[in-house]
Amino acid sequence: VAVEIHEREYIAHGSPAPPSGLKRWTSGGWLRVLWVAPLAFLLSIVLVLGLRLALGYDTAGWDGLNPFGDTFFHFADADLQPLIVAWTVIVPLAFLAALGGFDYWAYWVSGRPTRPEDHSGHGARTWRDYFRVNTDHKVIGVQYLVTTIFFFVGAGLMAMFMRAELAKPGMQFVDNNTFNGLFSVHASLMIFLFVIPAFAGLGNYVIPLMIGAPDMAFPRLNALSYWLLPIAGFTMLSSFLIPDGGAFAAGWTNYTPLAVQQPEGNLMFQMGVQWAGASSIMTALNFLVTIITMRAPGMSFWRLPLLVWANFATSTLVVVATPFIAGSQFFILFDRVLHTNFFNAAGGGDVVSYQHIFWFYSHPAVYIMMLPGFGIASEVISVFARKPIFGYRLMALSLMAILILGFSVWAHHMFVSGMSPWLRIPMMVTTMLIAVPTGIKVFSWLATLWEGRIRFATPMLFASGFVSMFVIGGLSGIYLGAIPIDIHASDTYFVVAHIHYVLFGGSLFTIFAGIYYWFPKMTGRMYNETLGKLHFWLTFIGFNVTFFPMHWLGLQGMPRRVSDYAAEFGNLNFVITIASFFLGASTVVFVYNMAVSWIRGEPAPGNPWRALTLEWQVSSPPPIFNFDEIPQVVGSPYEYGVRGARHAVMNGDRIEATEPERAKVH
Amino acid sequence: MVLVGVAVGGALALVAVLIPWLPSADAKEAGLVDRVYWVVTIICIAIFALVAGVSVYSVWKFRAPPDDEDDGSPIHGHTGLEVVWTAVPAALVTAISVYSGVVLTQIERTNPDRVVQVTAQQFAWSFKYNENGTEITSGTLALPVNQPVELKLNARDVIHSFWVPEWRMKKDAVPGIETNIIVTPSKLGEFTVVCTELCGLGHATMRARALVMTQDGFEEWLREQQRLAEEAGSAQGKTLFTQQCGSCHALADAGTTAETGPNLDNVLPGKDADFIRESIVNPDAEIAPGFQAGIMPPDFGQTLTSDQLDSLVEYLQQVAGRS
Repeated sequence: VAVEIHEREYIAHGSPAPPSGLKRWTSGGWLRVLWVAPLAFLLSIVLVLGLRLALGYDTAGWDGLNPFGDTFFHFADADLQPLIVAWTVIVPLAFLAALGGFDYWAYWVSGRPTRPEDHSGHGARTWRDYFRVNTDHKVIGVQYLVTTIFFFVGAGLMAMFMRAELAKPGMQFVDNNTFNGLFSVHASLMIFLFVIPAFAGLGNYVIPLMIGAPDMAFPRLNALSYWLLPIAGFTMLSSFLIPDGGAFAAGWTNYTPLAVQQPEGNLMFQMGVQWAGASSIMTALNFLVTIITMRAPGMSFWRLPLLVWANFATSTLVVVATPFIAGSQFFILFDRVLHTNFFNAAGGGDVVSYQHIFWFYSHPAVYIMMLPGFGIASEVISVFARKPIFGYRLMALSLMAILILGFSVWAHHMFVSGMSPWLRIPMMVTTMLIAVPTGIKVFSWLATLWEGRIRFATPMLFASGFVSMFVIGGLSGIYLGAIPIDIHASDTYFVVAHIHYVLFGGSLFTIFAGIYYWFPKMTGRMYNETLGKLHFWLTFIGFNVTFFPMHWLGLQGMPRRVSDYAAEFGNLNFVITIASFFLGASTVVFVYNMAVSWIRGEPAPGNPWRALTLEWQVSSPPPIFNFDEIPQVVGSPYEYGVRGARHAVMNGDRIEATEPERAKVH
Repeated sequence: MVLVGVAVGGALALVAVLIPWLPSADAKEAGLVDRVYWVVTIICIAIFALVAGVSVYSVWKFRAPPDDEDDGSPIHGHTGLEVVWTAVPAALVTAISVYSGVVLTQIERTNPDRVVQVTAQQFAWSFKYNENGTEITSGTLALPVNQPVELKLNARDVIHSFWVPEWRMKKDAVPGIETNIIVTPSKLGEFTVVCTELCGLGHATMRARALVMTQDGFEEWLREQQRLAEEAGSAQGKTLFTQQCGSCHALADAGTTAETGPNLDNVLPGKDADFIRESIVNPDAEIAPGFQAGIMPPDFGQTLTSDQLDSLVEYLQQVAGRS
């Protein structure tokens, strides 16, 4: 009912007139960012230098910052660390404030009138609305996806640079420092700015629709969590600009003491992770509250589509685990800037404990990057096989099993780290046990194909490609989980192969499946099927030729994270490099297909896949508040082939529901 | 379906057997590790063949013809199947865990005949022996064949990791704690110690030689090292070079062959004492062609006493003039 009122008032009020004159520069938006952000940049300098002067600290070496000095751009001798910390905290906050991210809250706190009925910041009418603070989950979902694909392409180009360098033994294009920076930033962007937020973006768009809600529970928080993302990405990317040392180059794992010994660019990782982590946590809280409180009448937990289950599990992981990586990076920051001794052995700190804290997040992060993919695969496989998902309840429960087990396996990354020896066997057992719920999912997908009527549109190609590639990644995980083999294979190219089979063959394939699957819903247009299939085959072949030989390289003795290697590995590395360029080229097909189809693709019907879940029961793209009337859910979302079965009753087409869930009307 | 599964399994088995996936097993422990590897491989081939069999068969058999609008059979689940594919994988992975645990205790139980102190620093390894009451330091790891040895690992600056692929043994060297490896080399020859933990700019080139010798050869090697150490009075510079510089630089006169840094037989001739001193205490001042700044430790000016530095420069100047 509330929604109907909202919608009516929205129509009655319309958007307020856009500000004019000087007001354009002082009301929230990019014009305000233009002058506020540089001001914040200067303010940070004044603040840090002023404090150092006032407290009598050394300011020697800071002459470089004197604009009247003759060495304006000569930063090399100055300890820039306090300044970098100030910049990476103050400038992003100023950016958010200037863009209008805090306007509503600021008005409310200061007692000025707020306009809860003002939906000028809700929904997109022109393409410009995608560049503003917007509270519509559908706009935010698209913002997320486009941003993450931008970072995906950037991080992919870094991988191309690395492969060029590795095409033959010896050093060719880049020096060691640049190479170490490339793989560190590549991994950080792919993990924190692509895979995790791409799933958050897909979830943002689809989940409120799937559960029959008009929006997320906290739309303004949702907008904020999106806008933290470009900040995190920009922080990490701009580390290449830091004078004297360039980008952070200690790997995305940022193991200390190397992290503390690194030049100042390392701070950009520590701060970038804070922004990306804050964004993840906010989104995850939003998902949890939305899923728990905003399901349509009749949408019991056992009627939730599996993608919603997957995001429920993922969000729980994010909320519990992400503070640990935030903490680990703050400790490193303190060790660097404040000269504390959390991990400094010479000062009584414990080096290995960093790895425990780091992996206590970063192992669950693997599931944060995989469970939503499981959800997407379940949706796509069921729809394109035209069959109910096999073993629905066990599929949902296995997600929860992975969630719980996922917290008890982190030290399998540390079998050779010199940690307490007793911890190894228990961690190996839990690691192996995680194969059980994962196996249940794989076998259930296969059983869903059985006796189906399978249609191989692009989303289905990627989903079935995912199942086969993920099985290879899972099986190489069993090798790495067995301690004796891990002692030989850890920190080698075998691990590089394994993580790419899991994160590329797993996460990326399902992200592609999801993007193609919901592209008609998001844009109102169909993508080009031929180009989609071309993209799949290029990716599938390029991916396997690139990453499968890496297993051999690793077992034979090639360590990871090296810019140079023994001559005997030259031939295979050359093959890998050629294949990786092939793989890079496949992305061009994808981006071209998406861009051109979005502009002038064939108009999409509301439900091109004849799917049963709720997002397909509304127009493409959906109305601004998703449903004209909140639907009444009456059955499972996967009843393909069941005569007369319905998932939901839409738009007043009411039947007398007898389910007890009816009491759950919000 | 069974045929597809058998075909895939057979092809995989051929790939697993015909391609030499593992380097030769040249330590007693390596054989045990390889057996775990093969057990896991057999199980994985079986699982992958099953998955591939079902999926290839389904894709071929259940593909919808174009313009077909029908749905598949409304199968919701099968409790028996679900119990089987929960229980069988659980049993398999438990078996792998138990077997791995047994092998782990086997490869770590050996009582060592000898202890070698291994020190890792950016970007070199050094190995310290205490034989017959004499301390010997070398940039090369020499070991007698078929004798279990305990390597005690320490790190001076950041984390490094000791790995000899043919021995299947790896452990991190961590600042502040001592870690260890027990290994029994079983084959004569020359091997490479590889650093596998990212340790900074020189990580890719942080290598050392490991020589496995006969008992006689090892004793002779020890005597040679002892002789070198006793000559310290007359040739302190040379000994210092072997200990401090030889793990990265090749120099024929000192018998070192490492390739991390510039080969001094090529770059040293004709250089004067000032240049040599500057290159030791301030290594990035001038970089030999093909090498990069930031790799050689910049702190030799602090870690060497001025006497040591003088004798090192004196020695290198002699070599530079001689050739």
